[in-house]
Amino acid sequence: MTTNPPSGNVRSRRLAALADSWRVYRAERGGVLGLAVLVCAVLLAVLAPVLTDSAELDVTGVDASALRPPGAQHWLGTDESGRSVLLLTWWGARMSLLVGAAAAVLSMVIGTVVGLTAAHFGGWVETVLLRLTDFFLVLPALVLAIALSTVLSRGLFTIVLAIGVTSWPQTARLVRAQTLTVETRPYVERARALGGGHGHVLVKHVLPSVLPLVFATTTLTVASAIIAESTLSFLGLGDPSRISWGAMLKSAMDTGAVTAGAWWYLLPPGIGIAVVVLAFTLCGRALETVLNPRLRGGAE
Amino acid sequence: MTDTRDRDDVRRPPARAPRILGFVALKLGGGALSLLLVVVLGFFLFRVLPGDPARTMTRSAPVSAEQLAALRHRFGLDQPLYVQFRDFLGNLVRGELGTSYTYNRPVAELIGERIGPTVLLVGTATVLAVLLGLWMGTRAAWRHGGSADRWFTSVGLTLWSVPTFWLGLLLLMAFGVGVGPMPGLFPVAGMSSPDVPPGVLPRVLDVGHHLVLPCVTLVAVIHAQFMMVMRSSLLEEMGEEYLTTARAKGLREDLVRRRHAVPNALLPTVTLIFLHLGLVVSGAITVETVFSWPGLGLLTYEALRVPDLPLLQGTFIVLAGSVIVMNVLAELLYRVLDPRVRAS
Amino acid sequence: MTPVLDMRDVSISYRAGGGLRRAVTDVSLSLEAGQTLGLAGESGCGKTTLALSVLRLLPRSARVEGEVLLGGRDVGKLTWGGLRAVRWAGASVVFQGAMHALNPVRTVGDQIAEPIRLHSAERVPTAVLRARVAELLEQVELPVERRDAYPHELSGGQRQRVMIAMALACEPSLIIADEPTTALDVVVQSQVLTLLRNSVARRDVALLVISHDLSVLANTCGRLAVMYQGELVERGRAERLVTSPEHRHTRALATAFPIVGDVSSRRVGEGERSGGADTPRGGAASNGALLSARGVSVSFTDGARIRTRAVSGVDLDVCEDEIVALVGQSGSGKTTLARTLLGLRRPDAGGVSYLGAPLAHTGGGLRAFRRRVQLVLQDPTGALNPRHTVYEAVAEGLRVHGDVVNEGERVRAALEAAELRPAEEFLGRFPHELSGGQRQRVVIAGALVLDPRVLVADEPVASLDATVRGEVLELLLGLRRERGLSTLVITHDLGLAWSIADRVAVMRAGEVVERGPVEQVLTSPEHEYTKALLAAVPVLTRTVT
Repeated sequence: MTTNPPSGNVRSRRLAALADSWRVYRAERGGVLGLAVLVCAVLLAVLAPVLTDSAELDVTGVDASALRPPGAQHWLGTDESGRSVLLLTWWGARMSLLVGAAAAVLSMVIGTVVGLTAAHFGGWVETVLLRLTDFFLVLPALVLAIALSTVLSRGLFTIVLAIGVTSWPQTARLVRAQTLTVETRPYVERARALGGGHGHVLVKHVLPSVLPLVFATTTLTVASAIIAESTLSFLGLGDPSRISWGAMLKSAMDTGAVTAGAWWYLLPPGIGIAVVVLAFTLCGRALETVLNPRLRGGAE
Repeated sequence: MTDTRDRDDVRRPPARAPRILGFVALKLGGGALSLLLVVVLGFFLFRVLPGDPARTMTRSAPVSAEQLAALRHRFGLDQPLYVQFRDFLGNLVRGELGTSYTYNRPVAELIGERIGPTVLLVGTATVLAVLLGLWMGTRAAWRHGGSADRWFTSVGLTLWSVPTFWLGLLLLMAFGVGVGPMPGLFPVAGMSSPDVPPGVLPRVLDVGHHLVLPCVTLVAVIHAQFMMVMRSSLLEEMGEEYLTTARAKGLREDLVRRRHAVPNALLPTVTLIFLHLGLVVSGAITVETVFSWPGLGLLTYEALRVPDLPLLQGTFIVLAGSVIVMNVLAELLYRVLDPRVRAS
Repeated sequence: MTPVLDMRDVSISYRAGGGLRRAVTDVSLSLEAGQTLGLAGESGCGKTTLALSVLRLLPRSARVEGEVLLGGRDVGKLTWGGLRAVRWAGASVVFQGAMHALNPVRTVGDQIAEPIRLHSAERVPTAVLRARVAELLEQVELPVERRDAYPHELSGGQRQRVMIAMALACEPSLIIADEPTTALDVVVQSQVLTLLRNSVARRDVALLVISHDLSVLANTCGRLAVMYQGELVERGRAERLVTSPEHRHTRALATAFPIVGDVSSRRVGEGERSGGADTPRGGAASNGALLSARGVSVSFTDGARIRTRAVSGVDLDVCEDEIVALVGQSGSGKTTLARTLLGLRRPDAGGVSYLGAPLAHTGGGLRAFRRRVQLVLQDPTGALNPRHTVYEAVAEGLRVHGDVVNEGERVRAALEAAELRPAEEFLGRFPHELSGGQRQRVVIAGALVLDPRVLVADEPVASLDATVRGEVLELLLGLRRERGLSTLVITHDLGLAWSIADRVAVMRAGEVVERGPVEQVLTSPEHEYTKALLAAVPVLTRTVT
């Protein structure tokens, strides 16, 4: 047992606990790698307008020939209208990260509210919400997202909405399960016996123990949201005014780059998606490991 | 603390049969409710949400007001909403899904033509992915942290991070078109060649030849999910005390695994596999698009380019509905397989 | 004669972090055919580790020194094949908590048959196997049809019987029983112990029983050995060890389970009994009851929509300045009744009143009630939010009621009242930095800070180690002495009721079957059920003085 800790530095001990978690996280090699990649990707995406000239993205403003293989002038070759594939890929990252993050946040909010409400209030509220969650969980998400993006006007908001409303059920189920676990803990019963109402129990006991897990899941949701965004763009349902990795691959297929063997046009956007998605997945899994000691391998 | 735990002298009533009937009724009812939700959602999405579906359908072409009015009349859009919904439901019950705007043919007929190829592709890919995923997951979990675990996990995660359609495009370029000196080994599009010699066997072989690339693409992406589910499910079981009992009885490690750990881990995995069926269907849409596989996915893609709302509505209801039906079947099957669920 | 089990200077350590953690130090013991040995000790003393080492079932991180001889052969030197042959056929194990020790997806008959098939030289015909399983089930007094049942379809006691049948299957020369009756009811517990004792006596098998409960061991075993922090501190014949323990730890274990009827183990003194009239705090109902239930019935609807009645038509009073024990087996509805008394669950019929006024179920009335009647739960580890410090946990009640004047002062006072002194030292700690007893004191302090009149304590010491139990009970008695705080103790343990309560109510299947002063009910019970309960209590073979 530690010696007499003064009551004043509870805050610093909470910080120490945070540092502890970071130490566990750091031991996960994949998580650290993923985080490093993400930091680089986000920096590059944010700084794209500063570091590059957006005028070169305009089809009318370029004079290079179409589908040129990589060379000194265009490191990654050119697309079907002579634009630099490197530049397109760079700018495409902005769209993927933006949509991925926004859709994941939307799905996190919906999922947390649904899961928390269902588990805490129970009864018919839970029955209805659970049925709805299971329904959306089983429904092929892409099919619904396609339907939504077809009937709504094309644009950033539509994609975020289409992905957000189709990817929340996992979060809702997780939040519900965790809430149910926390609420069976005797300390919640004790809080009730002390006179605490719904608000007290939810805010003081349930949320603090659910949120870290929600954070980890959201990280994983970003990964699947980025894939969903690229898929929708590939199917031609993206925002036509913006460059995105999925849209690049769509033009590659539509303009015969595949049959022409223009691998330089095909590889960069795909690798971009894979790397960013993998980075988010690795971070999410590492976070889960930090939060769930049972998953920590070998320690016990 | 449970307050309803039975005491030793209390025998449970053998009321199993009525409970099972009740369970089946409950699940079937739930499935029916979900199907109804699909129908309502289908109606809402394609009739209500667009505001004026006729405008949505014709947004790529300039049309006159008369043409629009004619279109609205043709699709019944000039009727009040509840009448539209009633007609929609009535038609659905009769198996009619409306008329395609582009093909000018009944949607049900179009879907009927395309459903076979999709079942073939999705079915083959799912079976292969499940077998591969379960085997790899078991290997990985049992030697947790070993080299097989590390390899399977990293390859699985990487493939999982790759968009299905992109992997398809790469395979198409590498093995369909050919790279450098390597010629294309597999067909690039469709599910059959026009110049197949007559006879059953050559035709089957031809379809199989066309199936390879789309199927490999789909399996590569979705097996990872099954593997991870099986892996974590088995890892969960590995700390359980009944395995210590099994070891104490003198069982060899591989028997401990085969007889005790795997059956327990397999059951929750089965349900999760069916929950992921939606993912397989989503993957199939893009794979069919890339390889021009003449299934429902390609039909969806063709419909959304116009957009042909009646056709989209049809594919939405059929795809979503069949996934829901499969899930209900899975839940009933699970009930038969898992004694824990069977009695509770 | 070669002993069945001979352990010589066995030390076991676990690799943890960078270093080694000692779990067992230099333990030597031996056991001959037909002998029974009880290994006693608190949780974490190394007794289970020692037992698992007999069949080399320890995790890879464990290192065993010394010799473990099973039938004269060193277990540590056996090949894997040799070891597998010895497992179950030479020595078998009845594991703790039979729910998890049985494979949930295979029938119990199948699991009993498995070792028989495994350890037979040739294929056993199915018919022979079935007959043998039937025979084994019969021996453990289970109906033969139960062989097709899955573990979850059996009750706790039945599962433990299956474990015993399984342990007997290969006719081993040694059976190790690790906490064989933990989590079982008193009545079931005594049935299982009798069965275990008889099974080994009939076959001349050696039996090693491991438990934290000295009375369980004294009832089953001829010799006892007491472990404390990895070492054997005392051993000897069971009667001797129980009646005149030498080591202070053995004494603590022996006194932790008081003997019903033994006046010396009654902690309530003459002078302080029913002294409520001297220090009235006023406001009690006409009959003196603070908290009372009249005709309370509660029922549940389970997943299959079958209504079960947990409590039916119960009357119960908790008067000023008294400790009432509500005794019953698990499933008797006592916990449900407690929840109802606290207003955490609504009764279907009847009602609860506090100071004669019916209990409000919403709003301010309920909140005011909650200040006066407080709950202390069984498991102090779960009752404290691991993210909250001691200060926050104790202050929670005040904050819920928006009563934050002098918060710090009152929290300290409550901690001191719960005998956590000096309070300063505990304020900033988190629950995981406290011992089990300290945690329970924090929970009690969290109740005291609201200055309640009644504590409802649900199995307040059931999850505490023997040595700490007495201290927490002493605290409850002290609070009553000093503050006139009434307590309703809910327990399955008749010994506990005997040691601290003034009045007792015995509950069975949702009804109170007998009630009255403790001395009367527990020494000359009238109801058959109370008699059965008393008969089943493992009684130390010490003569009542």
